[in-house]
Formats: sequence, structure tokens, C-alpha cells
Amino acid sequence: MIFRAVEDADLIVRARRGDVEAFNLLVSRWEKRVFNYLLRLTGSPDDSLDLSQDVFLKAYQNIRKLDDPARFGPWLFRIAHNEACSDFRKRRPEPHEDAAALADREAAPGIALDLSLAVSTALDRLTAEQREAVVLKVYQGFKFEEIAEILGAPVSTVKSRLYTALGLLKEELAPANKRGTK
Amino acid sequence: MESGCDRERLCDFAFDELAAPARAEMERHLAGCAACATELAQLQLTTAALRVLPDREIPQRIAFVSDKLFQPSPVVRFFSSFWNSGARLAFASACVLAAAIVFSAYRRPAETQSHPQSVVTAGMTRDELSHEMDARINKAVSDAVARVHQEDARVTKAALESADRKAEQQRRELMVAMGEQMNTLQKRLGVLTEYAMAGPERNAGTGQ
Repeated sequence: MIFRAVEDADLIVRARRGDVEAFNLLVSRWEKRVFNYLLRLTGSPDDSLDLSQDVFLKAYQNIRKLDDPARFGPWLFRIAHNEACSDFRKRRPEPHEDAAALADREAAPGIALDLSLAVSTALDRLTAEQREAVVLKVYQGFKFEEIAEILGAPVSTVKSRLYTALGLLKEELAPANKRGTK
Repeated sequence: MESGCDRERLCDFAFDELAAPARAEMERHLAGCAACATELAQLQLTTAALRVLPDREIPQRIAFVSDKLFQPSPVVRFFSSFWNSGARLAFASACVLAAAIVFSAYRRPAETQSHPQSVVTAGMTRDELSHEMDARINKAVSDAVARVHQEDARVTKAALESADRKAEQQRRELMVAMGEQMNTLQKRLGVLTEYAMAGPERNAGTGQ
């Protein structure tokens, strides 16, 4: 666990009193996670950055409505989820950069490109709901209850989406895994 | 898979979402169930493959809240800084003091009406009031002096009585002692007289 001199809950209390710097510190702690969450939903860095901006603006405007400061993470991702859904509804689906280009840029040094490409392709084949469940669980590390809170769905539904998605990904990635582990 | 295998619980186990007893139970099950162990290994391999895609750095910092556009209005900022400063305590103290003064101001007339004597004095002239006050003070001082004199007299009387009692006691003890000494002297004198009178008779007896 990373030690933090000031906990998020303290920053939230200060932000509620109008301390802008406290909220800026919260933004710096969470902006990368929110951006990557939105990036994996939209596939577009520009859209994700714009949406991230909107997410933090709404969070700032509604910080006093947050009942429990300890639930800031799920509350923030709930806003991000709503912003992403709203964005999907507003605009027609535009062709984002294809999975190959995304994988090319996301691939970590030393990792086989074909595995990264296979992962990106496999994620793209999931439904939006399945992909979001995978992103929140595997990449963001939220608990099932927190994911249910973010998505506004029962825990059983979240689990169902995730396990179905993992089953599909297992089938999709099996050949790539074999190559990647060789 | 064997009977008792539960894929959902296996996934919960893989994501560390099982409570300690259920986790221990699953570990025991995995030790004896090759199918579930294989399923778990595949699940872990899949999630590991997914994590090949790392998080990307955000291309541009989000710091819009620092912009003046999103800051509270100057009035709101003034009140915010006011309430977050030491002035809050001073203001609260001033409010309490003001409330106390107002309360006192409303309460004082009611108190004066509850004392008829004060109403009488309120009708007096300044000289009469001064005279009345002097008389009261003099009376109070006289009473106090009388009380002190009375107390002094009582204490002196008690001391004299005590001294008299002690002197009488000492006089009686002295009389008793003198009487005892007189008795002793009389007894000695009687003995000497008898001895003196018996002397010539004893000498005559020895001369025969």
C-alpha cells in the first residue's frame, strides 16, 4: 500500500469547505485511473481526456453530496460511468483508432506485440457492459460491491457479466497465451 | 468437474473476494480437484494476459479547478476565509457578549420592580438618598462595633472566671500543703518533748 500523508477522506472534507487545492490534490491522485477507465471504454484518448475533465468538474460541483468520504472512488467512477454513457448516447459511434494501433501504443516494452494486439482485439469483441465489468475488476481492482455501485446494477449481474466475459476472453486469448508463454 | 465444483466461487476465489472460511474451503477443494485447479490456472492466465496492457499516462494534467472561472465568487471566498480564520472565534465571542448584554438589559427592569424598597428610594432626592445611605451605613457600623464589644466582653469575662477558678484551686492546694507541714512539725515537736522529759528519770535509775 502506498503511504499517503493526507488521506482522501481528509482532502474531501477540506474540498467540501471550498479548499480548491485539496480538490486539485484529489484530481492528481485519481486522474490517471479515470482517464484509463474512460480510454478503455471509448478507445479515444481525446474523448477520454474531455470526459475526464467533465467528470472532475461534476465531482467538484457535487462533492457536498458525497455521503461517505471513504466511498469517493466508487462515487467518482459512478460519475465517469454516467458521463461515458451519456456521451455514447449523444454522439453516433465514430470509428476510433483500431485495436492494432491502440495495442501498438499500449504495448509494454518487452511484451510480445501479438499478445497486446490479441488482448485489445478480444476486449473489443466483448459487449460494452462486459468490457466495462472487466475494466473495473481487472484494471481498476474494484470489489464487486463497488462495481455494482458504479454501474447501478446488482452484484449478481456484475458477476454474471464478468464471468461470461472472462470465459470469452479465455477462448479468444488461448492461442495468444500459448504463443506468449512459449 | 466433480460434484461440489462451483465456477462462480472459483472466480470469487481468483479475485480474492471470498471470506477466510470459504477461502480455506476452496483451497482444500482445489487440492483434490484437478478440473477446478486447471480452470483456476486458465483464469489466472487470462487475467495476466489482460494486464499486459498497461495504464497510459494522461496526455494533459487536469487542473481546471485552479482556474478562476471555477473558483467560488469573491463574496463566497471572503466568507469562506472568514469562517476558516481566527475571526470566527472573535465573532462568536462578540455574538455571545451582545446576547448577554441584550438579555441583561431586558432582565434588569424586571428585577427593580420586584423590590418595592427600591421603588421608594427611586422617589427620593439626591440629598435624602445620601442621608439615608449615611444613616444606614452608620447603623451598620454601630451594630458591628456593638457586636465586637459584646464579643470582647464575653471573652474577657470568660477569661477572668477561668483565672479566678485557677487561683482558688491554687490557694486550696497551698492550704492543704501548709496543713500537712504543720501536722508534721507538731508530731516532731511532740516526740522531742517526750524525749526531753524522759531524760532525768533515766539518769536517776542508773545512779542506784
